[in-house]
Amino acid sequence: MFEPLRYPALALTITVVVAGGCVPVWAGAPPSFHNEVMAVLSKSGCNQGTCHGNAHGKGGLKLSLRGQDPDADYITITRQSAGRRVTPLIPAASLLLQKPAMEIPHEGGRRFPTESEEYRILRDWVDAGLPKDDDSAPSLIGLTVTPAHRTVHAPDVSVSLNAMAAYSDGSTADVTGLTVFDSSATFVTVTADGVATAEQSGTTTVVGRYLNQQVPIRLEFVSARPGFEFHTPPPVNFIDEAIFAQLKRLMMNPATVCDDMTFLRRIHLDLTGLLPTAEQARAFAASEQPDKRKALIDELLASEEFNDFQALRWADLLRVEQKTLDKTGVDVFYNWIRSSFAENKPINQFAAELLAARGSTYKVPPANFYRALRKPEERAEAVAQVFLGIRLQCAKCHNHPFDHWTQDDYYGWSGFFARIEYEIVENKRRDKNDKHEFTGEQIVKMANKGEITNPKTGQSPGLRFPVSGENNVANDPGAAGVEQLDRLQRLAVWMSDAGNERFAATQANRVWGQLMGRGVVEPVDDFRSTNPPSNPELFDALRDELVTHDFDVRHLMRVILNSATYQLSSSSDETGDQPEGSFAQVMPRRLTAEQTLDAIGQVLDVPIQFGGHELGTRAGQLKGVRNGGHRYSPPEIGDRFLTLFGKPDRLQTCECERTNETTLAQTFEMVSGEIVSTLLTQSQNRIERWLNGGLNDAEIVDNLYWSALSRSPSADETAASVLHLERQEDRRRGLEDVVWALLNSNEFLLRR
Amino acid sequence: MFRLRSLAEAAAVNRRDLLRIGGPGMLGLTLPKLLRAQESQGTAAAPEARAKSVIFLFQWGGPSHVDTFDMKLTAPQEYRSKYSPISTSVPGMHVCEHLPETAKMMHHFAQIRTVHHTMNNHNSAGYTALTGVEPPIDDQRLRDSLDLLPAFGSVVDAVAPNRNEMPTFVSYPHTIADGSTTPGQRASFLGKIHDPLFIPNDPNAADFELSQLSLPSDVSLGRLSDRRELQKLINRQVRGLDESAAAKGLNAYYEKAISMLNSRKVRNAFDVSSEPTELREAYGRTTYGQGCLLARRLVESGVKFVTVYFSRNIGGRSKTDGGWDTHGFDDTRMYEILPEWHLPITDHTLPVLLKDLEDRGLLQDTLVMWFGEFGRTPKINKNISRDHWPKCYTALLAGGGVKGGAVYGASDKYGAVPDRDPVTTGDLTATMYSLLGIDHTTEIRDNLSRPLPIANGRPVTEIFA
Repeated sequence: MFEPLRYPALALTITVVVAGGCVPVWAGAPPSFHNEVMAVLSKSGCNQGTCHGNAHGKGGLKLSLRGQDPDADYITITRQSAGRRVTPLIPAASLLLQKPAMEIPHEGGRRFPTESEEYRILRDWVDAGLPKDDDSAPSLIGLTVTPAHRTVHAPDVSVSLNAMAAYSDGSTADVTGLTVFDSSATFVTVTADGVATAEQSGTTTVVGRYLNQQVPIRLEFVSARPGFEFHTPPPVNFIDEAIFAQLKRLMMNPATVCDDMTFLRRIHLDLTGLLPTAEQARAFAASEQPDKRKALIDELLASEEFNDFQALRWADLLRVEQKTLDKTGVDVFYNWIRSSFAENKPINQFAAELLAARGSTYKVPPANFYRALRKPEERAEAVAQVFLGIRLQCAKCHNHPFDHWTQDDYYGWSGFFARIEYEIVENKRRDKNDKHEFTGEQIVKMANKGEITNPKTGQSPGLRFPVSGENNVANDPGAAGVEQLDRLQRLAVWMSDAGNERFAATQANRVWGQLMGRGVVEPVDDFRSTNPPSNPELFDALRDELVTHDFDVRHLMRVILNSATYQLSSSSDETGDQPEGSFAQVMPRRLTAEQTLDAIGQVLDVPIQFGGHELGTRAGQLKGVRNGGHRYSPPEIGDRFLTLFGKPDRLQTCECERTNETTLAQTFEMVSGEIVSTLLTQSQNRIERWLNGGLNDAEIVDNLYWSALSRSPSADETAASVLHLERQEDRRRGLEDVVWALLNSNEFLLRR
Repeated sequence: MFRLRSLAEAAAVNRRDLLRIGGPGMLGLTLPKLLRAQESQGTAAAPEARAKSVIFLFQWGGPSHVDTFDMKLTAPQEYRSKYSPISTSVPGMHVCEHLPETAKMMHHFAQIRTVHHTMNNHNSAGYTALTGVEPPIDDQRLRDSLDLLPAFGSVVDAVAPNRNEMPTFVSYPHTIADGSTTPGQRASFLGKIHDPLFIPNDPNAADFELSQLSLPSDVSLGRLSDRRELQKLINRQVRGLDESAAAKGLNAYYEKAISMLNSRKVRNAFDVSSEPTELREAYGRTTYGQGCLLARRLVESGVKFVTVYFSRNIGGRSKTDGGWDTHGFDDTRMYEILPEWHLPITDHTLPVLLKDLEDRGLLQDTLVMWFGEFGRTPKINKNISRDHWPKCYTALLAGGGVKGGAVYGASDKYGAVPDRDPVTTGDLTATMYSLLGIDHTTEIRDNLSRPLPIANGRPVTEIFA
């Protein structure tokens, strides 16, 4: 085996010339492998996932992803390829230098020139005999990038970022030149020496990464707006104050508050998943009550339909699905979820009951949560994602590349869930080969032993909470003096504690995202230092509001719904792009699968068939994924529509499983598909009843518009519709055309 | 047509516009996902495109490699095929006696005889073959969830979509399943927008049509146009709404759907009945045979990726139906079944398709792939049949950019394990993307935003022409 040569004397002779003082230097010492060589490999992109950091490496060289394993990389560089990568006798002949400098062909192109600082560091390290840092070498303990937040006003379009590293020996160094800067927005570029420049106005998060430390920097670039005057609707509460303060800084006016009918339709869809009926719409339009919006918010929050709609969302997240839970399980679990919202159970208590649940899945409804999650790792990932907004999955196979989670954190957290066992009372599954199928009662139990080991170390890392600063269960409020609690009961106590800011923030952000279409942290379950909230003041305030009001979700919703921000219009006179997450206006979005189908059913006033459900059940009321009780029978018309429009299969504990994207297949369904045309031509639908009721064309058209769009038709629309009807031999056919046009209109299909 | 695609094209020129369209609150047209995929192609240059389209003939159930294309003439009797070998258009190469027409076309095929993976069950192996990646567990009822990888055609639709009016990815005539739907047939986390245009109808049926392109019987194109005018009038009413990203997205889809309904070209592409009777007979009047003919029509009209599934189920016990899963269960016998059903169909379709493509000058631009989810046990079982064998089996590639007559890799004398040049399903996938001119290291992102390469392997460039 090749042993690195050491030239201690030579190291002393190296003249350290540091351009701009941007490299940490320990006087007289050769470059540190951990602190400098590894940083060069990251800064030059060598260990990116697309290059040598790939699971299979590139061109025969495989480095650890983003340099997370310096010891392995040291061996790779110094020992593999018969030592050709590094030749201390003739440093410049090392592949480590020749390849990235493109002195010989390199598929990845030229990463740095021979006269660069990067080249110097690598060469000096090779020249010094490939020293490996010993245990006494200073290690990185902190990274600070300044400014952490900056608003840049035109004509300035750039800001200089400065990175300072702190080491275990108490020293600090300017590491700007060795720090990788990545911007989340593509219109901002950051040069190698840390100057961020924007091509247009907007906001971005730049992440500075040096070795294993990452720091987010929030930058706002504001265009020149001579004569700009800031106007807002009157702020109603802290939400508006936080939103408007940010918009003022960005020199951007929010939209005006939307009109009553837009508000009516928006809030009905958001809280109940349904359209307002024509009667409700006409009554709201006619009402002169000054606080009628506030009154409507209270009315809908207290409605049964609200409970249905909340239950639907949480049934998605908690995997209420028939194959694993069976029909009884789906029923009892769904009913428990729904009644939890009906009785306004605090959301932390809801979480605690789920986490600590055990017993018969038929008699203890929340025990179905664990029935659906059969493995410790699955449970750990689900709980982290749903309740703490952490996507830990990356850390299963390697340390998380965009956060600080390590594999030990992952397996330490999984340890909480290691002792769940199932007593399968009976399993009358139909498919004996299907290990996911369970039909029959089960009892979820806690064993008194069982641990999880990290497969890389073979050791059990001990229980760990996946929240920074609390990676030690000694901090756990359930631990002191309550020895009879098992680990999941302790976890439930910890999770639901009012001091658990991460839980509260995750739930507050979920509620905000549900109503606004986008979280303050987005995606709503992807909290990490490199994905900060778009408005930190708002984020903190929402969390605090939830905590101070005892985790009352209805209360938080009421505050949000009454804010001017929620009630803003979807159109704006602002010409520029709205920065992501500024909430300066409402962004229209497509109705969900259930909302679309129920709205069609409402307009035509026809019930829609779902497998295993009584006729008259709405899409938003379905308990399982489809076909309650009839998983093997072919899907009914309603089931097919919901699948096509993105109702999730509930195999993941992620809101991302529900897809609200529009597809060509959906458009064909709306235009010419079997489902819509069946409902349209059904003899018992509303068209027929109005025809038989003796209404004239204009009256029927008026009714249809109120039913579908919550407004009367414009003069143009009435004229065009009536003319169309007059031209038809068959009035009914003409009316079907009018309804088709309404159901296919943007105004119908979008929530705005 | 393909308004959204042209938006993506525009993105190549002006990425900022695309971002604006793909901004917050949009319908989730997934353009940002696409954009990331494009960006992540990074500095590595895309390989030269040797093929413009792919026809993927997926052999569900798992054909026996040692009874078709990798016959082991010197293996002991308990291993050796009961069929006789016949010589082919490639000197020294043999195929089984029940593939006489195919034998004449073997100079067009490259064979990879060492494809291998570790999945023994149909669903997990099928997913592996359809995506190139093994699932986390070898599960007989592997669940089709969004954390699994997308079908090849969906990846192509995401990273290198069609620029013409035809869809990128079409699949038919079955959704394959073994107890539960086999994952790997759709777009998974890439989003429904990249799902195939799937045709559940039998191309051999007299009334075969693309259901998506058929209007209800009482709706004529004229009536649809009246409806569309009323719809457009409503869309003009709300100030500003039509300018929103969400409305623009919807409008683009309506334009595309309506123009497809009106398009003679699209309709015509799916009209197998307009093919000459002799040609239809030559392909065989079976669902699969006419599916192969339809595949030719589709690539001819510009579809980029066509997947034809041999059968809906794994089959193996019937002489008139089903896939290649010939265990010999229930007193059935593989050696009796294959010459009655699977091999004649294969011998009707593979050589005819190649000839047809060649006659029309399409073969050089069309990659044809033929393989299943695994091969079958080298040793004949007690039912005088063969069981599952993923450790070594054969894939056929022909046409666009492939060296005809090439054989890459060799199995041992039993056909049991690779003897030389083993090829993973990831390598096979990389080969396919590479031939299509797609950098096989391109990354796509899953729902957790984890970057994943579209192929876990390296292209087998040795079979490139």
